[in-house]
Amino acid sequence: MGFLAPWFLAGLVALGVPIFVHLLRRHQATPRPVSSLMFFERGSQSSTRHRRLRYLLLLALRCSLVFLVVLAFANPFLRRATADANSRLLLIVLDNSFSMRAGKRFADAKTLALAALSARPHAQKAQIMSLGGQVDVRTQATSDDAQLRAALQSVQPGDGHANFGELGQAIRTLAETVHGPVELRLVSDMQRTAMPANFADAALPRNVELVLQPVVNAASPNWTIENVDAPASLSDPKDPKQSRVRAVVAGFSTPAATKNVSLLINGKTLATRKVDVPGDGRAAVEFAPLDVAYGFNRCEVRIEGGDAFPADDARVFVVRRSDPERVLFVHAPTDTRSAVYFGSALSAASHGSFVLQSVADEQATDLDPSKYAFVVLSDTGTLPAIFEHALEEYVVKGGSVLIALGTSAAHQSRIPLWGSDVKDAHDYARAGGAAAVGEMDFSYPAVEQAQPGADKGGWVDIKFFYAAVLEPGQARVAARLADGTPVLLDKQLGEGHVVLLASGLENLTNDLPLHPVFVAFVDRTARYLSGNERVSGAKLVDSFVQLRSTAEPVGAVSTIEVTDPDGHRPLTLSDARSIQSFRLERAGFYQIRFANGRDAVIAVNPDRRESDLEPLPKDVQSLWSGGSGGGPTHATAAGSVELKNHPISLWWYVMLLVLVSALAETALASGYLGTQREEV
Amino acid sequence: MQQRFLDPNVLAGISSLDLLAKTVVDGFVAGLHRSPDFGFSQEFAEYRAYVPGDDLRHVDWNLFARTERCYLKRYRGETNAQLTILLDASNSMNYTSGPPAKMDYARYLAASLFYLAIHNQRDAAGLIVFDQAVRDYIRPSTRPGQLARLFAGLERAEPQARTEFSEPFKHFQNLLHRRGIVIVISDFYEQPETIVSHCAPLRFRGNEVVLFHILDPEEVCPVLRGSALLVDLETDRRLEVIPEYTKTTYRAKIDAHIEQLRSRARGAGMDYQLLLTSHPLDAALRGYLSLRQAGN
Repeated sequence: MGFLAPWFLAGLVALGVPIFVHLLRRHQATPRPVSSLMFFERGSQSSTRHRRLRYLLLLALRCSLVFLVVLAFANPFLRRATADANSRLLLIVLDNSFSMRAGKRFADAKTLALAALSARPHAQKAQIMSLGGQVDVRTQATSDDAQLRAALQSVQPGDGHANFGELGQAIRTLAETVHGPVELRLVSDMQRTAMPANFADAALPRNVELVLQPVVNAASPNWTIENVDAPASLSDPKDPKQSRVRAVVAGFSTPAATKNVSLLINGKTLATRKVDVPGDGRAAVEFAPLDVAYGFNRCEVRIEGGDAFPADDARVFVVRRSDPERVLFVHAPTDTRSAVYFGSALSAASHGSFVLQSVADEQATDLDPSKYAFVVLSDTGTLPAIFEHALEEYVVKGGSVLIALGTSAAHQSRIPLWGSDVKDAHDYARAGGAAAVGEMDFSYPAVEQAQPGADKGGWVDIKFFYAAVLEPGQARVAARLADGTPVLLDKQLGEGHVVLLASGLENLTNDLPLHPVFVAFVDRTARYLSGNERVSGAKLVDSFVQLRSTAEPVGAVSTIEVTDPDGHRPLTLSDARSIQSFRLERAGFYQIRFANGRDAVIAVNPDRRESDLEPLPKDVQSLWSGGSGGGPTHATAAGSVELKNHPISLWWYVMLLVLVSALAETALASGYLGTQREEV
Repeated sequence: MQQRFLDPNVLAGISSLDLLAKTVVDGFVAGLHRSPDFGFSQEFAEYRAYVPGDDLRHVDWNLFARTERCYLKRYRGETNAQLTILLDASNSMNYTSGPPAKMDYARYLAASLFYLAIHNQRDAAGLIVFDQAVRDYIRPSTRPGQLARLFAGLERAEPQARTEFSEPFKHFQNLLHRRGIVIVISDFYEQPETIVSHCAPLRFRGNEVVLFHILDPEEVCPVLRGSALLVDLETDRRLEVIPEYTKTTYRAKIDAHIEQLRSRARGAGMDYQLLLTSHPLDAALRGYLSLRQAGN
């Protein structure tokens, strides 16, 4: 029991008032003189005692009234741990991220979680969640011990990256439906890298009390392959520029050491290098040439020499060896520059992965687009009907086309494959100037840039002298000119994409080919249109791969096959017919057969932030747990369960007693006054 | 000074009545009082047969000549009475539940009697003030200025000490040489047999003794609002008493005391009169005097 305003207890001094008054009345009763006590007797002491007893009762009532009023001001409260424990929800979150595979972390965490579950009162409801790449709700709130234990036992270590920000978001969502107090027990290794950059993302609602139960208190030394730079596709193994693998070995909380790093291709060790890794630093190692067979090669760079976390000692990637893919470049007969610029940029960017085949539009009648990685229509006029029909089928089945609208295309008004016409054309050169890029969507794969600067990745320097004007419709606008004219658009057509540049690829309608960003643009566009972008290189655990487009052709039923690293097929039959994207949950190699018949092998690696085993500093832990509910820090490494007592105000009860005492005092005092009147 | 005691209203009530002594004590001054002694007055009383030793001067020789029997001729003589008031000046007389106090009431009573006796009856009057002992004594006299001395004696009689009847009454017997009227004014907080036993010798010596019992109405019917701490004015003893007792037992006891004192006084040949301070003084005197006249 405590008091919210204990300084009001000083008012207990007022208790002296009724005591003083009662004692004063008894001791200062004026003696009454009489002539003689000859005929008086002290014969009624029992009655007097009874009266005194009644006065004492009145005194007690008055004292209790003063005491209760003072008590009401002091606002007493009770700490009722047991009752609160039954009413609050125990939410156990077990960290099953990739780092929990280190040592005995996961086993210890599970033991702690089970202990917390056992220590709770039987009537208390609990809920189990796991925190890996995403927050998984394992059970609903229940008091069923068997169900809760089974849910805890079923949690297995995963390959995802824990993020306390996502946990905070999930708990905030949960708190919108659970309005009572929630005790959140997070059993985790408390990785520093799991804390979001913005601490507010991990903030918890006020009705949630966070109790941290870290399974480790100090960082463990750990070496890992932090990064692997390898070509996603390789056409010439003897090309020294391409046929090489560069890996970066990183150490976290490690001393300087010499490590053996091996390159394994399809399970066979191809080469081994020794590398000196500085203390808590990084070192690069290179393997060349990369002699791989045709097809998908499952490669792995592994660091030898055990540490506390052997699961992250390898990093996988896929190298696909194939002959160079052909790109069909269809242009107007008068347009000869665009093929030169585009071909040069393509060869510079793809290192021989693509071979450009340039044809005039009137000669494209007999060409089969399906034999090409993608097709470029550069300022074409009217296409042969057969070719245009074949091109439509090609796109619907998953092919991609890049359309560039030069000056001649604008005169045609109709855009092949696009579905809408050219409404107008802006000839900025005639107006004596040029238009610059005003808006860029850098999340679009063809112009994707992680951190574009003020110059918009170099696009702001490009001058557009001519641009066709067309209605975007449902197309995605990736870039607009300063006057708002869409200049780069993407439209989904069946399984394929049609990318439209509202200007030409030569240097007449714009000066894009003269800028370095043109090479990057062609490289990304080529990878995006060829489909290599979706499946090339390595992906991280919990990333998604798009299996089919959202716009499914009517009547076309295609089946997608996914094989996970364990050789299992995670998709059900219905999923295989309808699923649009797939989450890569496990580390390893996924084999995918897309709807258009293409095969792909995707290497999936855990997030390298999981390799940094340094836990959160204690002060950050205290700040997080202490700031969530205003309560004390409960970060304890042991499994001791310490329930926080919640104060319950007794103010209303005290005021009720005040009322009762006041009524009783009034009744008793009135009774005394009535007696005296009767005596008179 | 006299105006204080001689309230015209009181005296107007008393003047219509004569203060008649029941028995005549020594004295020679003619008045309304008849002397119990046969002397030389002119009014014939009776004849009595001669017995040896009688004074031959009182023999009615004419009757002896006619009847040859020797008789003595007796006459009813008129004489002045001697009034002595014994005033109790103990602390208990200081009690009051409202004016006047018992002591003041006693003073008024004594002054009225003195004035009546000296001014109207030409009697000798004296005062004895007592508590545990005789505090003041003014010898009975008819000299001019006696009334003023008596009044001064009454003024000096401030209540103090406690009442004790034994010692003062022994002295009274030495002080009262002549028979007369003795009026005792007191609240008589003593056992009735004790009071009467001490007053009886005065009666035995031929005095007419009258007991004026002065009480406050609150002493007869006390009113208590709740239990009260009572303090004895004479002994300073304290006692806590509840109202229920005063309503029942006390009243019975005080009534029994008054009745016992009245009966015992009359049994001893003394007169008794209860006077409450709330009652008018003239009414009390009138009632007493009427009582005396009826007694004659």
